[in-house]
Amino acid sequence: MDYSQFTIETLRSMLDRKEISAPELTQGYLDRIAKYDDTIKSYITVTPELAMTDAQAAQKKIDAGTGGLLCGIPMAIKDNICTEGIRTTCASRMLEEFIPPYNATVMEKLKAQNIVMLGKASMDEFAMGGSTQTSAFAKTRNPFHTECVPGGSSGGSAACVSASLAAAALGSDTGGSIRQPAAFCGVTGLKPTYGRVSRYGLVAFASSLDQIGPIAKNARDCAWILGSIAGYDPHDGTVSKRAVDDYTAKLGKDIHGLKIALPKEFYAEGIDAEVRETVMKAAKTYEEMGVELIECSMPSLKYAVAAYYLISSAEASSNLSRYDGIKFGHRSKIGDTFNELICNSRGEGFGDEVKRRILLGNYALSSGYYDAYYGKALALKQRIAAEYARIFETCDVILTPTTPSVAYTVHENISDPVKMYQADICTVTVNIASLPAISTTCGYNAAGMPIGMSIVGKQFDEATILQVADAFEQQFTPVAPVL
Amino acid sequence: MIAYLAELGKLHFTPEEMEKMAIEMTNIIEIMDTVKEIDVEYDALADNKNIYLNDLREDVKADSFPTEKILQNAVNDENCFVVPKVVE
Repeated sequence: MDYSQFTIETLRSMLDRKEISAPELTQGYLDRIAKYDDTIKSYITVTPELAMTDAQAAQKKIDAGTGGLLCGIPMAIKDNICTEGIRTTCASRMLEEFIPPYNATVMEKLKAQNIVMLGKASMDEFAMGGSTQTSAFAKTRNPFHTECVPGGSSGGSAACVSASLAAAALGSDTGGSIRQPAAFCGVTGLKPTYGRVSRYGLVAFASSLDQIGPIAKNARDCAWILGSIAGYDPHDGTVSKRAVDDYTAKLGKDIHGLKIALPKEFYAEGIDAEVRETVMKAAKTYEEMGVELIECSMPSLKYAVAAYYLISSAEASSNLSRYDGIKFGHRSKIGDTFNELICNSRGEGFGDEVKRRILLGNYALSSGYYDAYYGKALALKQRIAAEYARIFETCDVILTPTTPSVAYTVHENISDPVKMYQADICTVTVNIASLPAISTTCGYNAAGMPIGMSIVGKQFDEATILQVADAFEQQFTPVAPVL
Repeated sequence: MIAYLAELGKLHFTPEEMEKMAIEMTNIIEIMDTVKEIDVEYDALADNKNIYLNDLREDVKADSFPTEKILQNAVNDENCFVVPKVVE
């Protein structure tokens, strides 16, 4: 069987027609994980016994004809999403032994659909990074070239879908952490509108920016998953009560007459020529489908990376203050006083990138610097949101490259935090403005590495960005990585 | 400055780690300084209007987590969190 062709839609049909059983399918994925994941390193924890139990329960539902859309679908879950009784590490020594006492709301929703969880996917430590090389446990490699990074922070989720070590996955996105690895690994990733999906049980990084979303083979699969995880949750006061759309409703409908805006700053210097040309070619493809392309501008883009890092690090420094080595998390063996114990536990438990973000956040919030940094970043957040609002007055969606370059090797950039931060330029504004965006593959560079484009939508208009991404995917033949 | 920030963040660094971190943070803060170039004011009033807040949920009695589940991730003794001596 060619697992690279297994979209959720295909698997749904195979399972419902009894061409394969849920336990057989699950075993197939577990065999692939055993065979390939020593190289790809996409999982921190594989849960084969639980997966088979899930699969047997799913098969009963399928046999009774009562299974939901995702019943029996083998999925990976990013390791910052709490899973009751199953280790959730956030790829950090700090949470190496942490067993959550409850499920995240998204897990409850997926379990209600009888998905099969194959395991917990690797990520950058505490979701801070764009390479998955800050993971304390599994430094994931790119299935298209194992000397290259898979992106991050949801690098394990994207790599396992790309390598068909799961049919789909959940990731989380604070500044591009779903879209950027999806682009690097040649799959499709959706960051929903802030407030569309509950964050209850998502280990907090930057609470005003974090969102959980799907990574899958295509936009249609993302639509199915989003429909299953979105919606009100009394445990998260920031989730919208707005009704959940049928995200498949617009799929396959003609996009003739739609208006797509291209902000010139996203195609300027600093964007790799092959990336720029490939995304522009995709824009022309849309034009041939009857879409009107509109040129526009986002003058504040050059300040976006700084604004994003100031806001997200400020929030992270506050969120991560809960790790004291007392209630849960790593506890140092050294420290006779309360203060020594906390400082040593955090010093030993957190990796370098997490420590840098805590220091930066404290700097931005500290007396004498607050107005100049954090206050200015909040002002820029408003400015960027206003610039998006102005652009959306004349268009339906916005098209940009997802990343300035294709996936780089594990030896590049990783040791230079400044270079790593600047590589987030194409994705961070979407989080800053609380918008939804989807990244899908639009081509490959000369070396065969995937190139992603992002379609950004108006708040809560996930249905349209899914429609636009799907329209491109319908005429595009993706390449599967050779493992 | 880094020592002060480390104290605020309750992070222990060795002298060598502190030196390396100081260089990296200097480079990072240079990038952050770009926000100083633009003349833009934060409008807290506008933000308050835009923030989405759900209605408060009903105050319904619900079960607490079982003590053993909460303490499974901590050093515990007789169902208590254990901390170093905090009173001299």
